[in-house]
Amino acid sequence: MTAVPSIPVDGTFRDGFREGTRAIAGLLFATGTWGLVTGVAMVKSGLTESMALAMTLLVYAGSAQLTSLPLIITGAPIWLIFAAGLVVNLRFLIFAAALHPYFRHLPWQRRLALGYFTTDMSFVLFMPRYGEAKVRGTAEQVGFFVGCILPGWFSWQIPSILGIYLGSQVPTEWSPEFAALLALLAITVPLINGRPVLLASIAAGIVAWVAQPLPLRLGLALAVVAGIATGLWAERAKSRLSARKSEPQP
Amino acid sequence: MTGGFDTAYVLWVVIVLALCTVITRAGYLFVGDWLPLPEGLRRALRFAPVATLVGIIVPDLLPWSGHAWPEVDLRLPAAVFGIWVMARTRSAVLTIVAGMLALWLLQWLLA
Repeated sequence: MTAVPSIPVDGTFRDGFREGTRAIAGLLFATGTWGLVTGVAMVKSGLTESMALAMTLLVYAGSAQLTSLPLIITGAPIWLIFAAGLVVNLRFLIFAAALHPYFRHLPWQRRLALGYFTTDMSFVLFMPRYGEAKVRGTAEQVGFFVGCILPGWFSWQIPSILGIYLGSQVPTEWSPEFAALLALLAITVPLINGRPVLLASIAAGIVAWVAQPLPLRLGLALAVVAGIATGLWAERAKSRLSARKSEPQP
Repeated sequence: MTGGFDTAYVLWVVIVLALCTVITRAGYLFVGDWLPLPEGLRRALRFAPVATLVGIIVPDLLPWSGHAWPEVDLRLPAAVFGIWVMARTRSAVLTIVAGMLALWLLQWLLA
């Protein structure tokens, strides 16, 4: 556990760390599968092994990497790849905004490290657990987060590097890229935990499908806007309904 | 499948994508004290991750270019089966395994 030496280890941090590793353990195989698939996809798209290695170690963002591959193949301009990468990564801006109250007291190096290593999985595990916490930024909370992101990094990078060096052996007929899609589905389904979110995702799906011929992956941006608008509308309609029935709020 | 891309070009791609990672994941942890997100905006942005993920998945699963009818391939029923497995079991690994097996089975049956 010496990979993050700059964070003080006290009892509470260690407790949180242990809880975090326990929570993420069940998801590591899925992360690894997605990492393997992404590694294979990079070399199958024509990146050299060293370039794919640089990409996985520096970028560490599966959805952005997978999004960039078709753009690289068509020789898209760098600014376009940058813009597409930003849009695909937009969800992490929301994650960072939600995590900010827990990390704001830390020195900038640790904030940089905690931010850079944030994953979907760590956020999805952290927020239900500490979202309602009265005191934010305790050592236990930071420990829990580190307990999620540290095993997460290894479980992504090791299979990804494996995929880079074994990728050329995988037959295309096995449709290895479909495993990446299933991994994305597995992240998405648990997030749909209520009618407003369900309606938001239906709206996003319809808009993304209709708008996909638009350039610059503009359809994705429109889908996000449609999803947010629909979600907010559904939430307001829901609270109006429950207010009329004068039921206690859940 | 040759590694035929210009090395400098791919290096630039890696650099800008790494920048994307840093900006979106760590950026707010640096400006958050001076740029507080209003509660309304925060609530609104709660729906963004799901919308983004769906927005990536749907066009990948059902591609069309605007010129031709969308091609429905065997990945669609396999993905629907995967969604069902995930909703029932909450296991990502089971979802990936079941989805892949379903796709291979369908390909083998209809080959």
